[in-house]
Amino acid sequence: MNSKRRIFAGAVALSFVVAACGSDDDSSSDEAETEASAAVEDAESAVTEAEEAAETETSEAMEEAETETSEAMEEAETETSEAMEDEGSEETADLSSLSGDITISGSSTVEPVSVRVQELFNEQAPDVNITVDGPGTGDGFVLFCEGSTDISDASRAIKDEEAAACEEAGIEFTELQVGIDGLAVITNSANDAVECLSFEQIYAMVGPESTGITNWSDANELAVEVGGEGDLPDAELEIYGPGEESGTFDSFIEIVLEGIAEEREQEAITRPDYNPSADDNVILQGIQGADTSLGWVGYAFADTAENVKLLEVDGGEGCVAADPDTIASNEYPVSRPLFIYVNNATAAENPQLEAFVDFYMAEGLDTAVAEVDYVALSDDAKAEVRAAWDSAL
Amino acid sequence: MIFTEPLVGDKTRESIRASITEPRADVAGRVFKALVVGSIVVTLLIVGILFFDQINGGWPQLSTRLGGFLQGTLRSRSEDELLGVHQALYGSLWIAIFVAVFAFPIGIAAAVYLEEYASTNRFTGFVELTIRNLAGVPSVVYGLLGLYLFVNDGWIKENITNGPTVISAGLTLAILVLPVVIITSQEALRSVPSGLKEGAYGVGATKWDVIRTQMLPYAAPGILTGTLLSMSRAIGEAAPLILIGAITGGLTANPGFTDVGALDDRFTAMPIIITTWVQQSGRDAGFAVAAAAAIVVLLCFVLLLNLAAILLRNRYENKRTV
Repeated sequence: MNSKRRIFAGAVALSFVVAACGSDDDSSSDEAETEASAAVEDAESAVTEAEEAAETETSEAMEEAETETSEAMEEAETETSEAMEDEGSEETADLSSLSGDITISGSSTVEPVSVRVQELFNEQAPDVNITVDGPGTGDGFVLFCEGSTDISDASRAIKDEEAAACEEAGIEFTELQVGIDGLAVITNSANDAVECLSFEQIYAMVGPESTGITNWSDANELAVEVGGEGDLPDAELEIYGPGEESGTFDSFIEIVLEGIAEEREQEAITRPDYNPSADDNVILQGIQGADTSLGWVGYAFADTAENVKLLEVDGGEGCVAADPDTIASNEYPVSRPLFIYVNNATAAENPQLEAFVDFYMAEGLDTAVAEVDYVALSDDAKAEVRAAWDSAL
Repeated sequence: MIFTEPLVGDKTRESIRASITEPRADVAGRVFKALVVGSIVVTLLIVGILFFDQINGGWPQLSTRLGGFLQGTLRSRSEDELLGVHQALYGSLWIAIFVAVFAFPIGIAAAVYLEEYASTNRFTGFVELTIRNLAGVPSVVYGLLGLYLFVNDGWIKENITNGPTVISAGLTLAILVLPVVIITSQEALRSVPSGLKEGAYGVGATKWDVIRTQMLPYAAPGILTGTLLSMSRAIGEAAPLILIGAITGGLTANPGFTDVGALDDRFTAMPIIITTWVQQSGRDAGFAVAAAAAIVVLLCFVLLLNLAAILLRNRYENKRTV
């Protein structure tokens, strides 16, 4: 809240300055306010009229009055928001006076989102020097908990041991979800024997007990054993996926494999004998090169790729295809949250960092996430995250 | 006395004539010539195909907005009109300058010492062996060395490099090419005819005079070729820069080429943005085009450097013959 107060105070101070100079801008915003309050008065009188009418006339008149009221209220709202926007442009002027450094590191998946926010923020605050880097979620947390970075991008929630390292170093942080990334389970587009895979079937083909299986149908026995359907086709199985260092690897295990692995008292890992790569393009090339291949990558990568088929996934509640709607609504079972972690103390000390995170919470959630092909949060989720940030300061 | 008998017999004469004039003469020699010509053709073809393939791949960027691409920055989206390589060119240019300023004088001086001053004993032998081994050490190892020396907390970080900056990168790559500079300079100094040296000593020149007026000018073209090849290598290295902490995502600062004040800021470099754009192309296919265009820019940059090397070498060679 502090930041907004400051910005508001800045805006007020600025408008005083402008008023002292006798600029027309200010009088026009005054006019807007007057108009707005007049419109509110109109609306109120309409309500009073409606109430009076309701007492004497029929319900028809009541409805008419209600329409009038809502129209008048809408008008009032529009004019008020216009007046607010005038203040918004003064907020812009406030950002341009900011300077200093912001260091962001962490997940290479979240990196494009933060870069996009950096670009938009720098349009308004060109003197704030921001660096965004993407060595990986785990490496990012190491740097973050050493205090070398201000914001850590993460494609999974912070682990207990990572949080402990932060605590040991005396670093308090705020976790803010900025978007959602769906993981796509993919095969070659020529593969028409499979449309949908259940978690059980994926476990039977990719999980820790699947080592050595080279044919889809060989996994049927295990799939049935763990409670899935045994209808996998008789076809060669070639698996391509991200390597252990990747956040996509961790997320896939957590979402798909971990539950079943725990039930069966197995370690939650993939089989060791698949084709891992840190480069999503290499994974896609593998999938494209073999007719009955199986793999997983981030949804944004798979969605635009040619000759790749996105499989439906059954997480226990029926088969769901991956698309932006099903991912946003959490219907599609293989999706993961994208976070930023903000160093509280640094944000409180550095106005440019605080302004940047404020900006992230506004433009970032609304614009940047979708612009770099991830799935934006629902309005409720956005409100929740914004509230979390407000209460952190 | 007059020779009436030929020096060689008829039989020998016949075989010599046959080896020169007959159709199947000197088969091995012709095969060898075909092989060497073939090798050069293959080499040129590989370079040519690589170059044209990349120009072709990067053409959408190169043809429509070359100026913008050369002045642009790292961006999150490939269709961004501000996308470009200027930040990376800044990094690579200054890395090259650091290599030239630090690695070349030290390397050449070390070579002069080893060739002219050092006595031949076990210690010198050990030093030479070590330098030759260092030249073969993978570049990632030098990245680690640079990380510990220049980037991690310590006196050097506080007072000179300021962490993962252009200075750290430049110094690390200067160390990386140092062994190669020493070895090539040594070879060039060894190629100076001993008659030249001895003649100079003979007319009463001191060791310093001989090195300054005879050795270095004669060896200059060879030294230049070796050093500039090693600079091209330094510009193309990505692995050590990744360890040092070159930026892959986004950088606000886009300093001009002559802006020395940005040397102690975070940086990126040409090989780094090529790597990162190739990775990003899975998310946003347009980055594949940007990566190809960046490769063309890097190739041109290296070619320009080599061209400078050739011009300098020709100048020294002309001087030497006068």
